Amino acid sequence: MLWYWKHVGSRRIIEFVLLTVFAVFFAGPLLNLLVLAFSERWNYPNALPQQWGMKWWDFVLAKDDIVSSISLSFLIATLVTLLSIVICIPAAYAFARLQFPLKRMFLFSFLLTHAFPKMGLYVSIAVLFYQIGLMNTLLGVVLIHMINVLMFMTWIPTSAFRSIHRAQEESARDVGASPFKVFRSITLPMAMPGITVASIFTFLNSLDEAQGTFLVGIPDFKTMPIVMYSIISDFPSSAGAVFSIILTLPTIILLVAAQRLVSADVLASGFQVK
Amino acid sequence: MSSKSLIDAGKVSGRKTISPETKQSLLGLAMVLPSFAILLVVVIIPIIQSFFLSLSNGEGGYDLSRYTYLFTDKGMRSNIIFTLRVTVITCVLVMLVSYSLAIYMRFNQGPIVNLIRKTYMIPLFIPGVIATYGLINLLGNHGWLARLIGLVGLELPRIIFDQKGIIIANLWFNIPFTTMLLSSALAGIPSSVIESAKDVGVGRLTLFTKFIFPLSYKTFLVAITFVFMGVIGSFTAPYLIGPNSPQMLGVSMQQVFSVFQEREQAAAIAFFSFLLCSVLGAFYIRSMAEEEKAKM
Repeated sequence: MLWYWKHVGSRRIIEFVLLTVFAVFFAGPLLNLLVLAFSERWNYPNALPQQWGMKWWDFVLAKDDIVSSISLSFLIATLVTLLSIVICIPAAYAFARLQFPLKRMFLFSFLLTHAFPKMGLYVSIAVLFYQIGLMNTLLGVVLIHMINVLMFMTWIPTSAFRSIHRAQEESARDVGASPFKVFRSITLPMAMPGITVASIFTFLNSLDEAQGTFLVGIPDFKTMPIVMYSIISDFPSSAGAVFSIILTLPTIILLVAAQRLVSADVLASGFQVK
Repeated sequence: MSSKSLIDAGKVSGRKTISPETKQSLLGLAMVLPSFAILLVVVIIPIIQSFFLSLSNGEGGYDLSRYTYLFTDKGMRSNIIFTLRVTVITCVLVMLVSYSLAIYMRFNQGPIVNLIRKTYMIPLFIPGVIATYGLINLLGNHGWLARLIGLVGLELPRIIFDQKGIIIANLWFNIPFTTMLLSSALAGIPSSVIESAKDVGVGRLTLFTKFIFPLSYKTFLVAITFVFMGVIGSFTAPYLIGPNSPQMLGVSMQQVFSVFQEREQAAAIAFFSFLLCSVLGAFYIRSMAEEEKAKM
């Protein structure tokens, strides 16, 4: 045994140990939930469930407020995504291609969304919403979800538009294409990967948003993460695990579908100028 | 060029035409204003308003009483110290781990590295509540880890409902994001620079202090800013796995706002948390602005 380790080298061993710790640290909590969701009986000192089964799935899916929270969450996430596409993509195009006064000021104003600690910002917003009657309204919840996505929804497409060579657009215009045609058949398709990543990130961000909704959406807007807060305290852990999987499923599906497009570079361009 | 001649043509004919520059300016502004309006409603106005609200003493006058309360109330003071301690410890740990991981991924090849590259960003997309719940079940005192190490007779220290739990959860959320920022910065360092430095016999440490760090320290600072603000402004993890007292500021301001309904006091705590982050926030905005200027 020992000769084997010597042969591999201490560097490899350290590497292996560290990576295992890493994998356990990040995958452990999720794996734990997966096992819990399919266990029917799992008493304390046992390392694995004594009885496996789907009992808690039936339990969770029979609860009306849980099921309605799923559709509410998807409704809100869809609204937030559509609204931010309509609002941010034109802005991104303007930042990348047009010259207008105060351009830099506008571009950097989006940094403000990430220049304050979140809960402090949410409390300030709640104070304002309370005065103008936006507490416990759909508009209020959608607006508070927009904060987190405004910056990367503008910046990722901006850097996507910027990376397209003007020569390509100009040569299309030279052969007589109208500006709109050029945008639709050259600029937009080339910027599409960036826009798609930003939109997916927006959708997931909205599905995941808990703290802001908890502050301004209570008591009527119980999205999935908010229901999760109460499940954690009120139900057995297997029920919570089942709901966790339901809540994580859209993430996994979207990520697998878009994994070719999601890269550190694209995502990083949403949080800093490069 | 063509735009200039158009303006001239307009002048010569004496007709009133809008120059292409003005048209572009107006178009650009029109495209940007809707998103700026949202920014105004959800960020700028609330912050200005909470500043004034936090200064009002409830009797029509303005003073600093809401702020002095933060430092004179014993519970509040220990909340602030607790928050700062958790934040600083988290920042140090996250930066150490993420920088090492990013450098490891940049300068190593092989199937393992590829696997990490493909998977390390997954936690970024996992809902915070879910990850926190997973950590509760894994690390709780009757959790899975306690059961597993119980097999070999070990006992787990108290992690959940303790500051360790908050720090661990924050590591879980912040390491992937920070690693993403840093590895994108390291990818920008040309391999030729590293190779030629290696060729002239520069050691690993010098390579790091003279080349890699100087070329990525800006992103390093941006990353620290994100972690610092992320932890001070966090709510989900400390709410679910933090101790009842002392509390993190995020939990404390939610309670003051929703449970005690003291909006002025909540605004003061919120504004105080802005002040704690103001240096880093200002640095973040400034360094981004410089970067942009260099490019234009």
